[in-house]
Amino acid sequence: MAVISNLKVFKDSAWLGWQMEANWTDPFLFLTYSIVKPIAGTLILVLMYMVVTGGETGNAFFSYMYVGNAMYMFVADVLFGVTWVIHDDREHYMTLKQVYIAPMNFYMYIMGRSAIKIAITTFGVLVTLIFGVMALNVNINLAAVDWPLLAASLVLGLGCICILGLALGGVSFLTAKHSIGINEGMAGVFYVLSGVVFPITILPTWAQPVSKVLPITYWMESVRRALEPEVMQELADTSGFDVTGMGGVSDLTMMLYLLVSVAVFFVMSIGIFRVADNIARKKGKIDWTTAY
Amino acid sequence: MTESYLMRNLRAVRGRAYPRLIGSTREPSWFVFDVILPLFTIAGYAYVYKFLDARAELIGYVVLGGAMTAFWLNILWSMASQLYWEKEIGNLSLYLMAPISRMSVLAGMAVGGLFETTIQAAMTLAIGAIAFDVVFSLASPALLILVFVVTMIALYGMGMMFASLYLLLGREAYHLSALMMEPVYFASGFYFPVKQLGFWAAAGASVIPITLGLDALRQIIFPGGAEDAFLSLNTEIVLLAGLCVVFMILARYSLRYMEYLGKTTGRLTLRWQ
Amino acid sequence: MQHAVETQSLTRVFRPKKKKEGDIVTALDSVDLQIGRGELFGVLGPNGAGKTTLLKILSTLLLPTSGKAYVAGFDVEKDLMAVRERINMVSGGEISGYGLLTVRENLWMFSQFYGIKSKEANARIDELLRRFGLTEKAKAKVRTLSTGQRQKMNVIRGFVTNPEIVFLDEPTLGLDVNAARAVRDFVVDWIREDRGRTVLLTTHYMMEADELCDRIAIIDDGKILACDTPTNLKRMVKMNSTLTLSIAGLNEIDGFDTIPGLNSYSQTKDVESSTTKLRFVVEDESCVSDIISKVVAEGSKITSLQKTEPTLEDVFIKLVGRGLE
Repeated sequence: MAVISNLKVFKDSAWLGWQMEANWTDPFLFLTYSIVKPIAGTLILVLMYMVVTGGETGNAFFSYMYVGNAMYMFVADVLFGVTWVIHDDREHYMTLKQVYIAPMNFYMYIMGRSAIKIAITTFGVLVTLIFGVMALNVNINLAAVDWPLLAASLVLGLGCICILGLALGGVSFLTAKHSIGINEGMAGVFYVLSGVVFPITILPTWAQPVSKVLPITYWMESVRRALEPEVMQELADTSGFDVTGMGGVSDLTMMLYLLVSVAVFFVMSIGIFRVADNIARKKGKIDWTTAY
Repeated sequence: MTESYLMRNLRAVRGRAYPRLIGSTREPSWFVFDVILPLFTIAGYAYVYKFLDARAELIGYVVLGGAMTAFWLNILWSMASQLYWEKEIGNLSLYLMAPISRMSVLAGMAVGGLFETTIQAAMTLAIGAIAFDVVFSLASPALLILVFVVTMIALYGMGMMFASLYLLLGREAYHLSALMMEPVYFASGFYFPVKQLGFWAAAGASVIPITLGLDALRQIIFPGGAEDAFLSLNTEIVLLAGLCVVFMILARYSLRYMEYLGKTTGRLTLRWQ
Repeated sequence: MQHAVETQSLTRVFRPKKKKEGDIVTALDSVDLQIGRGELFGVLGPNGAGKTTLLKILSTLLLPTSGKAYVAGFDVEKDLMAVRERINMVSGGEISGYGLLTVRENLWMFSQFYGIKSKEANARIDELLRRFGLTEKAKAKVRTLSTGQRQKMNVIRGFVTNPEIVFLDEPTLGLDVNAARAVRDFVVDWIREDRGRTVLLTTHYMMEADELCDRIAIIDDGKILACDTPTNLKRMVKMNSTLTLSIAGLNEIDGFDTIPGLNSYSQTKDVESSTTKLRFVVEDESCVSDIISKVVAEGSKITSLQKTEPTLEDVFIKLVGRGLE
């Protein structure tokens, strides 16, 4: 019964999320927005690469960078999407208190509301990857893709990101309007430390152990191994050393690490959320507004 | 314009700037969220250049570009789209009913927000420079100030023009602001010399004041900045001055026209569009 | 003398952007109003009647589709600044203001938009806070205020600029009895202090309109159905007064038929309370004393007495065909 009830909450809040994310304009403009935004973000990196290398994009380094940047959209957008639910309901629509006191699983509500963000982001990632393959010679060979590894990586990785977003959402109960920057900041931490667009071996020596603790680092590596195994092999062959810093970790170890991370972060995030929720209730911050 | 009208508008600027200034001190968490955490994104781009063995100036450009994003984001989210929030919480109708220019309200937001934004940018520049050994070469502080001020006036004028959209639109304008983040970072060359886009693309992007502003600032504060410049420094300063005038005029008329449209269609104070 | 507010065939039509969003709505339909200076004028109507639309046009937030509106003699379409310098508006259930600021800071900020010097603004704020009993809340952050306190603050915001004309759009909406009473008392005192001041009040509380307003316009579906003083409006109904007496005991009294001005009467025995209820419909109020004299002369003891007059609700029902929602 609880499972059915939770699924219903998820379904209804996903519908609500869709209404809010998608019905602000006509379908053509929405489609344009969903395509232009991710590609523009990617092109920054492409131009940076071209400034240095003179425009040669058909090599392993570029593919490594490009795929990482595309997949990073999940990190940035999903973290944002999950945290945004509380912020939006509280500051904008001022419906948080009504939702909060309703007899339903609040976590399911948040996940449902942010589900549409995941769907839109998935579309953006696909568009970006297709653009990269067609226009920039990014090396993704569909015949070589390790689909089971990719599926497992995506499920575990997205689960981890959603759960992290939940923790940040809890924190945002206690912070003012500008705190929406917290999720961008956290995404930035992953951007630097998780081997998104450059291997973690580029980081200072003291930062690399930190990278090896972050689940996103393993996620990035496993997605790359699944999606572009030829690129990863070429990088290893060309450089002659463990250029990514993760060469010694097997696929299974990575999946296990992700699984354990999901479990640990699940407990931590629920804990953080509950503590933040409790403090917010004590201080009367559930329905405060902080615009200035 | 009578003196009393002028004084009234100056008081309005002061009045609207006040919540911004006080908000910064009463909710100091912005320092962490808007200064410390965004440094990681800048670091990411800096390390990309390091990974590619790029020359040192490029890393300097990333640090400067990252610092200047504070102003662009302030335009998008704390000025233009602020009218959207004001509409939602019911303040917009009170502002529109008051006997003042709409530009005064927006100027107040800009002035109030500049305190936070300037600290944000300065901290980003300082920390980024230290962390990545960026070398500056400032030959003319006066020129730096001139370029900065002219860029800001033009930029905030553009922001006022965008703000007018929110008098008519609702969430479309909000999403348009979201759409203008990464594309502008790309087109304006926040993290790379804009001339890499090619002459015509860079020329088109120069409509956005921060494009020329960034390019001019690079020429002033980096030793090799002139080599990566799109146009000469003097040309860029003149063009920026022209943009100041153009955007202020456009903002005035745009605000009037959008308000008129909003009042005609009944959407001026309509919430949750 | 020019009117404080004047409208001539004022019409406002709302057309949806897309057909599926709904039908065309005529919020105001050829509204003609003239409100004199010094009047406390009420606009009474149900939800969706057009009250707020009218105020939005008069406060320059909305343009009419056709017709004209003048505030303090200035055209709301052409002389915007002149109108804005002379008006202010307070809406019921307002959530405006900034939660981070204190009450004083919010009020001061809005006063700056009207060019009031800080010293003068603070003096006005002090006085108004005192009148509303909010002096001790001056330094409280707005987000800590109760609903009633917040609305009082909003009312103060509307009056701190000392406008010539104030538009009050259901200002007591959602307030408790004491808070609503405070707002009403203030409005009445404020307008009495200076006969150059005018208030246009919209409400759907009959009692509020009846108690406060010099004249009332009844509006429904965008049309003004009637506009007059509360007394004259009630006279329109041509309803008779009703006198209800309860007397001790279960004995009926005869002979009321001969009393002039009495339309009809009835007697009902209440065995449980051992009283008899006498109900008289009187055409002429002078017969009330005759009725009471007769009851007393019969030796009956009056345990309760109630006289009911036609109310604005009766007027509304007669004009509109239904009560206020």
